[in-house]
Amino acid sequence: MLSEQALTEIARERAKYPEDRAQSALLAALRIAQEDQGFLATEVMDYVAHLLGIEPIRAYEVATFYSMYDLQPVGRHKICVCGSVSCFLRGSDQILAHLEEQLGIKVGETTPDGLFTLREVECLGACLGAPMMQVGDRYYENLTKDRVDSILAALREGGDDVG
Amino acid sequence: MPIIEIDGKPIDVAPGTTIMEAAQALGIYIPFFCYHPKLSVAANCRMCLVDVEKAPKPLPACATPVADGMKVSTASRKAKMAQQGVLEFLLINHPLDCPICDQGGECPLQDITMGFANPHSQYTEEKRVVEDKDIGPLIATEMTRCIQCTRCVRFGQEIGGIMELGATGRGERMAIGTYVAQAVRSELSGNMIDLCPVGALTSKPFRFTARNWELKHTPGICPHCSTGCHIDIQSRGREVMRVLPRPAEAVNEEWICDKGRFAYAGLAADDRVTQPLLRVDGEWREVSWAEALDATVGGIEHLLREHGAQQLGGLISARASVEELFLFQGLLRGIGSPHVDHRLTQQDFRADAAMPLYPALNMALEDLEREPVILLCHGFPRNEQPLTNHRLRKAVLAGGQIFVLAEQQRDFNYPVTQIVAGAGADVALYERLCRYLEQPEAIAELQGDTVLVRAAQALRAADNPVILVGSGALRHPRAAELLYWIGQVAALAGGRLSWLGEGANSAGAWIAGCIPHRLPGGAASPQQGLPAGAMWASGLKGYVLMDCEPTLDCWDGAAAEHALCAAELVISIGCFSREAQRYAHVILPAVAFGEGAGRYINNEGREQPFRAAVRAAGEARPGWKILRVLGHSLGVEDFAFMELEEVTRAWQRAVGEFPLDVTPLAPFPHCASGAHTAAPLLRMGEWPLYRSDPLVRRSAPLAQQAVARLHPEQAAALQLHPGVVEITTATGKALLPLVLDRKIPMGAVWVPMGFPETRDLGPAMGPCAIASAPTVAAAALAAV
Repeated sequence: MLSEQALTEIARERAKYPEDRAQSALLAALRIAQEDQGFLATEVMDYVAHLLGIEPIRAYEVATFYSMYDLQPVGRHKICVCGSVSCFLRGSDQILAHLEEQLGIKVGETTPDGLFTLREVECLGACLGAPMMQVGDRYYENLTKDRVDSILAALREGGDDVG
Repeated sequence: MPIIEIDGKPIDVAPGTTIMEAAQALGIYIPFFCYHPKLSVAANCRMCLVDVEKAPKPLPACATPVADGMKVSTASRKAKMAQQGVLEFLLINHPLDCPICDQGGECPLQDITMGFANPHSQYTEEKRVVEDKDIGPLIATEMTRCIQCTRCVRFGQEIGGIMELGATGRGERMAIGTYVAQAVRSELSGNMIDLCPVGALTSKPFRFTARNWELKHTPGICPHCSTGCHIDIQSRGREVMRVLPRPAEAVNEEWICDKGRFAYAGLAADDRVTQPLLRVDGEWREVSWAEALDATVGGIEHLLREHGAQQLGGLISARASVEELFLFQGLLRGIGSPHVDHRLTQQDFRADAAMPLYPALNMALEDLEREPVILLCHGFPRNEQPLTNHRLRKAVLAGGQIFVLAEQQRDFNYPVTQIVAGAGADVALYERLCRYLEQPEAIAELQGDTVLVRAAQALRAADNPVILVGSGALRHPRAAELLYWIGQVAALAGGRLSWLGEGANSAGAWIAGCIPHRLPGGAASPQQGLPAGAMWASGLKGYVLMDCEPTLDCWDGAAAEHALCAAELVISIGCFSREAQRYAHVILPAVAFGEGAGRYINNEGREQPFRAAVRAAGEARPGWKILRVLGHSLGVEDFAFMELEEVTRAWQRAVGEFPLDVTPLAPFPHCASGAHTAAPLLRMGEWPLYRSDPLVRRSAPLAQQAVARLHPEQAAALQLHPGVVEITTATGKALLPLVLDRKIPMGAVWVPMGFPETRDLGPAMGPCAIASAPTVAAAALAAV
């Protein structure tokens, strides 16, 4: 179900913890599985739980707790807009509304072309650059509507990292 | 020892005690929801916040260990504000639907709100709504009521041994559930209903039928296995409404299994007999007791005259009380028949003479959880004695080791080492274990048996390990051979034998003399009778059956049916008629679960009396009264009992003090090996959890489907695909859905006992053939 590389990485994570503490490796194992598969389908979580020898419900608990895990397929670019206090005071709600308008989707949805998924998330620890959003592994700070437009345009051009 | 003060009262407690425990010792009440003495401390409901001097914030009493000199107040202004605040938050999302909530009247949230809450809420926004989950036929969910105490989750993890419920989501979206839609499978799941402090998890069969305050509580003893759990039978009028556990630390702690909890639903079966039934010219007629007793006594007298007492056999279940068992054998022996037995599920009786006075655990259940090394021989207590299994689980969690020798892999809910024989080769497994125990120096040279060698080493290293004989060993068609080798294992390992009795009163049945070779108290019977299996093979002319359905309860249901249908006289004393009408001539209605009094002796040798919770249904009579009347009418001596107590005293006089520790009366004999079934395919049968007795079989919420199980590779080799298959034995056929299951050994097909569908297949273990079902038949079954 997972690639050889993902299995090796999970085994490495597992080895970091004592024999009776398999659950400690769960966060990392789920992250690796998600990177490998794109999102965490129930079968993928079941498989990860099986690899670690724990009950599937423990994987579901962890995966539903953290917003970084995707339980549904996501677009190529996952846009996570911070909606916590600092960003909100600096106009994150307008950034979000602008993104919805530009992408033609609501928060939580994916564009029909499968390119973008839009999320509102809690604080990502970049209050200094509020309002901010995360796309893939990268933070974009001090957002304005214009800057959002240019980022979207660059992402549409095919870039993954469009600083 | 720290000395602390709670509400001005000093107490001296052991270090590590929590404030909650200290307060309970003082009799001071601190409200709580998530705390439970049998579960780990979660401290997530915050209801038990108390005011501790010098602590800046209130502290949770359940999670705060005492410190010397600590001064705690449970009713200061600070503590009260904390309690009111917590309740206000808990009630934000809790619906105020107590009038339609099944928990109403027995709800900690309701009670604590009445006692501790501020009557006004500041919350005016919308309440959250959580989707209900379908988690099976036993537990109803109303998840909007959930306060996330996680007791149910912790129960699954810590007591049930399979974690099925969890808390998914986060913050306001956190919800308890299974995430994927599925029914909970734990055999202890009903306890979550009791643990839930709100109406989120309620009993589906009991739901909306009664209020807590309308119910009469009667202490009872569970009749479904040899653990003998203490139960609280709750009734209204003449109806048993539900069964809950009754705390008994030494027996069931405060749990019961789902079989004990929900079997009562079988009382509502449509074939419950409440009036004597007589077969007249092939038709069943409801008759008066006088008429039925005349027919019974006349029939027996006629049989004795025509064929002699040797042609009459008596079979009784191990759910009967000691009084009934005592009278039953007294009746049979009193009229001259030595043929009396209760071991319906067994087939091989060659070791009878050596058997101990009664099969018993030989220790207290509580001691079982402290055993370091246990060898479990052919048994699956999770199915057969669920709360004894709970003690074994505790033994493993405490660092104990359990090795299991068995005929197939099973889903234990704790780590055990399973050593499984190939189909039909169980005896050889024990022989090999003996060899490794005998010649430790030879072990190194042996190949391919590493797990068995490891078991041998652990047994040798242990001081007096427990050799636990499971119910499966006695049910084995070569039980005597198994017992010989199990005895050898115990001797070589320096261990002691311990037994898992099958029925609620197996111990009582042995002690009361409901066995063909011994009288009450264990003295050898002057006249050796036929054991259960042989009674069918001999084709007696008459049978007296009590509280059993031999066609479903016996090791060979087909043989039982054949013998019963060929007999001239079959008297069935019991609660249900569907099976009995196939073979009986007279059906005498006996009281059912909850309606009778008596005593059971559990697997520890613990004598446990119980009394009736409700009046008998219709014309049903207590079993002991029916037997007394029969005995009296047939002229048996000393049968003039008026009260149950007189029977109890007569039993006590006959039996005397019985020991709690029992050892085999003689070494188990080395029996010649029975015919090895060299069939290409072996039928392996056992009674599934909810098919083991007439009452539980009729409980609608515990309904189980009959299926055949086959190893996927075996199925592939036979070119069988999931779908309906036809199983054929020498005596009959059965059409069953096929389920692929890696736990079944190659060369065998698992086909359950206790189902009318599999009745005609005969022996629980024996050769069979399997094929894809004819299409027409399969379609008919699928339509059902």
